[in-house]
Amino acid sequence: MAKLKKDKIVNIIDTTLRNGEQTAGVVFSKHEKIRIAKMLDEIGIPEIEIGTPALGDVEKDIIKNILKAGLKAKLYAYCNADPAEIEAAADLGVENIIINISTSDIHIKEKYKQNRTWVVNTLREAMRTARQKDLSFIISAEDATRTDLEFLLKLVTLAKKKGAQRFRICDTVSKFDPFRTFMNINTINTAVDFPLEVYNHNDFGMATANAMAAIRGGAVSLVVSVGGLGDGTGNAAMEEIVMAMRYLENLEMGIETSKFREIAEYVAKASARAIPIWKAIVGTNVFAHESGIHADGVIKNPKNYEAFNPAEVGLTRQLVVGKHSGSHTILHKFKEYDIELTDKEANDILALTRTMSVDLKRPLFDKELMYIYKEYKSKKKDEPEADEDEE
Amino acid sequence: MRELDLFTDFSKKAGVGIDPMDIKIDDTTLRDGEQTAGVVFANDEKIHIAKMLDKVGVHQIESGIPAMGGDEKDAIKKIAGLGLNCSVLAWNRPVKSDIEASVECGVDAVALSISSSDIHIEHKLRKSREWVLETMKSGVDFAKSHNLYVSVNAEDASRSDMEFLLQFARTARDAGADRLRYCDTLGILDPFETFMRVKNIIDIIGIDMEMHTHNDFGMAIANAIAGIKAGAIYVNTTVNGLGERAGNAAFEEFVMALKYVEGVDMGFNTTLFRNLSEYVARASNRVLPTWKPVVGGNLFVHEIESKVSGIMANPLTYELFKETDVGLKREYVLGKYSGVNTTMHKLETLGYKISREEASELAEIVRNKTVASKRALFDSEIIDTYKEFKGSSKKEKEGTGRKK
Repeated sequence: MAKLKKDKIVNIIDTTLRNGEQTAGVVFSKHEKIRIAKMLDEIGIPEIEIGTPALGDVEKDIIKNILKAGLKAKLYAYCNADPAEIEAAADLGVENIIINISTSDIHIKEKYKQNRTWVVNTLREAMRTARQKDLSFIISAEDATRTDLEFLLKLVTLAKKKGAQRFRICDTVSKFDPFRTFMNINTINTAVDFPLEVYNHNDFGMATANAMAAIRGGAVSLVVSVGGLGDGTGNAAMEEIVMAMRYLENLEMGIETSKFREIAEYVAKASARAIPIWKAIVGTNVFAHESGIHADGVIKNPKNYEAFNPAEVGLTRQLVVGKHSGSHTILHKFKEYDIELTDKEANDILALTRTMSVDLKRPLFDKELMYIYKEYKSKKKDEPEADEDEE
Repeated sequence: MRELDLFTDFSKKAGVGIDPMDIKIDDTTLRDGEQTAGVVFANDEKIHIAKMLDKVGVHQIESGIPAMGGDEKDAIKKIAGLGLNCSVLAWNRPVKSDIEASVECGVDAVALSISSSDIHIEHKLRKSREWVLETMKSGVDFAKSHNLYVSVNAEDASRSDMEFLLQFARTARDAGADRLRYCDTLGILDPFETFMRVKNIIDIIGIDMEMHTHNDFGMAIANAIAGIKAGAIYVNTTVNGLGERAGNAAFEEFVMALKYVEGVDMGFNTTLFRNLSEYVARASNRVLPTWKPVVGGNLFVHEIESKVSGIMANPLTYELFKETDVGLKREYVLGKYSGVNTTMHKLETLGYKISREEASELAEIVRNKTVASKRALFDSEIIDTYKEFKGSSKKEKEGTGRKK
C-alpha cells in the first residue's frame, strides 16, 4: 500500500509534563519534571511542553529550572488565550508557547458562554500579546473535531496571517476514526497551506491510529506523551508513534528507542501508575511467549511472532512455561539449564506442568519446573523395569 | 498525489451503509485471552465469563481448544451444554483429531486455524503452500461432514502474499467454509492497509469475513473498524483486550467506538461492561488501569478547572457518552490543576457552601498541598484543609478587626 514519501519529516512534541501531569491524581515533583525533560531530550525528542505558568509560583519555578537545564529540545509553555497568561510565560524567559482556545460551538456556548466573534477577537488579542513579547506560538484549537469546518478554516487562516508557527487540531473527545481524521486533515491542508499538528485522545483506543492517519493526511507534527499518560484515557503514546512510524510507515524519526522501557518506567513511578504488562511496545508481556504454537514458532525463528527485536526498546524475550506450553518449549527451557530431555521425557513433563499450572492458576517458575523434573526422574528410577517393558 | 486520491477515495467510501444487524461479535476471551502468557482461568471462571458474555449480548463465544484435553475439554463441554443464546465455537488445527475432540464437546462451530504467510509456512510449519491448502480443505470437508459452522482462520494473513491469500480464501469458500478469519497475528497493519486488503478479498472472493487484530502498535481497535468498513461482518474481540503480547481488540472499546464514533448501535447491554471487565481482570490476575478506554473510570474523573467548568454547564462538552452507560460513576477530585469552580463544586458535594473568594484562596492552598504530597487529596483531607482555612481566615478577620 502507498507509503509516505521517504523524505517526509514528522515532528513530535511531547506533553508528558503538561497534559500528562494534568491527569486526575497525577503530580510530578520538581525533580521528576526536570529529570523527565532531560530524558526526553537525551533520546532526541525535538519539542517538549514543559508546563502551565498560570498554575502559580510552584509551577513557574519548575519551568524556570527546566529552561536553565541546557536542553537541545525546543521548549514550550502552555497558555490559554489570555494576555495575562502569555505575559506570565514571557516573564519566565520562555521563547515558545501554545495558545489554547476552544473552537466548537458547544464549548463556546456552554463553557465560555460566548459566541464565535468573541473567539476570533480573543485569539487576535492573544496573538498580538505573543508577538509583542517576541514569542513563537502554536495555536491550539480545543475540540476542533466538533468545530464547524468553515469556522475552523477561518481560524487557521487567521493564525497563518498573524504569524503562528503551527495550528493544532485537538480531537478532545475522540470523535474521529482514522478515516475521518485523514479526510479532515487532508481537507484543511488543501484549503490552507499551513503546518498542522494533531492532538489525540484515546477514549476509544484509537489515539495512535488517528495520529498516523493525520500524518498521511498531511499533518507535520504530533502531540504525544510517554506511555500515553494524559487526562482521561490519555494521549497517543510516544513509543507507539515512533515504533509505528518505523515499522508501519518505514519512516525513521531519529529517536533513541532502546531507552523506551527505562523512560516508561521512570514516568510510571513518578505518576504512581504501573506499566501494564501488556502495554504496546514497552510492556514486559509483549515478548513473553507461552502458547505451544507461538513459543515453538519463536524458538524456530523470532520473526514468526515478533515484529521487532525486544532489545530495540530495552526489553528481553521470555519463554513462559504454563498451561498452553508445548513440548518444544519444555525441551528448549531445559536446554537453558544444560539438561537434554528425550521427546518422551518432554511430553511427560509437559503433562505434569499443565496440571500444576491449572492448579496454581499461573505459569510456573523455573524452580518449580526443576522440582517437577527431579520428582519425575526419581520416580522413573524407582520403576525402571516398567519403563523398559513399555519400549 | 495519486496515492492521496486513493486514500481520499477510501475514506469517503469507508463504512457507507453499515447495517448494525449485520455485525457480530465473536469473543475470544476464553481462548486467545487465556492463551496470554501467565493467564489461566479456572473452569468455574470460564463458565461464569461465558454466561456474562451471553447476557451482555455477544453472538458467539470462542470457548477454548478441545485438543488440549483434560480440564480444557471439560470446560468447553460444560459451556456448550449451558443452553446459551449465543453460538459456541472451539479452536482447532485443521486436523481430524482436533475436530473430533470438538465434536465430542458438543460445540456448534469450529475455527480451523492455519498459517497463510510464507514466513510461517517455511519456518514454523516447514511445509509448502500446496500442503496448507490441502490440509485446510480436508479439515473443512471433515468439519462440514459433522454439520459444524466453519470459520477458516488465515493466521498471519497480514504477511501473506495477496495472490496466495486470495487462493486460500477461494479454496476455503469452495470447500464450504462459512467464513474467513483475517488474523493480523503480529498487529502490523494500519487501518488503511487493513481496509484495502480486506476489501480486496471480499470483492474478489465474496466470503463472509471476520477481523482478528492485535494491539502491538496500538491499532487493534482502529484496524477492526477498518475491517468492518471494508465489509467484514465478524469481529474477534476479548474483554479488556486480554490476549497475547499487547493483546487483542477490546470488546468494550470496539462496541462503544462503533456506537459513538461510527454511529452504529449494536444493541449491547453496555451497562454491564464495567462489571464484566472487573471480573475478567480479577480472573486473569491483572489490574484494570484507571485510564483504560471505556471501562477504566478516569474518563469520568475530573480535576482540570476548564474542563470541570464545561462539564458543569453541560457534560457533552467533554463526554460523548454517559458514565452510567458503561456502569461507571462521575467523580471530581481536587488537585494541582483545579480552580475556583472545581473547588466550589467539590466542597458542595462534601456538604460545605463557600464563596468564590474563599474558593479561590482554598484552591491555592490545595494546589500547594497536592504538590507537596504528589497526589490529589482525599475527601477527608479536603475537609480538614477547609476547616483549617476557615479557622485561620476567621482569626485573620478578628485580628484585623482588633487592630482597627
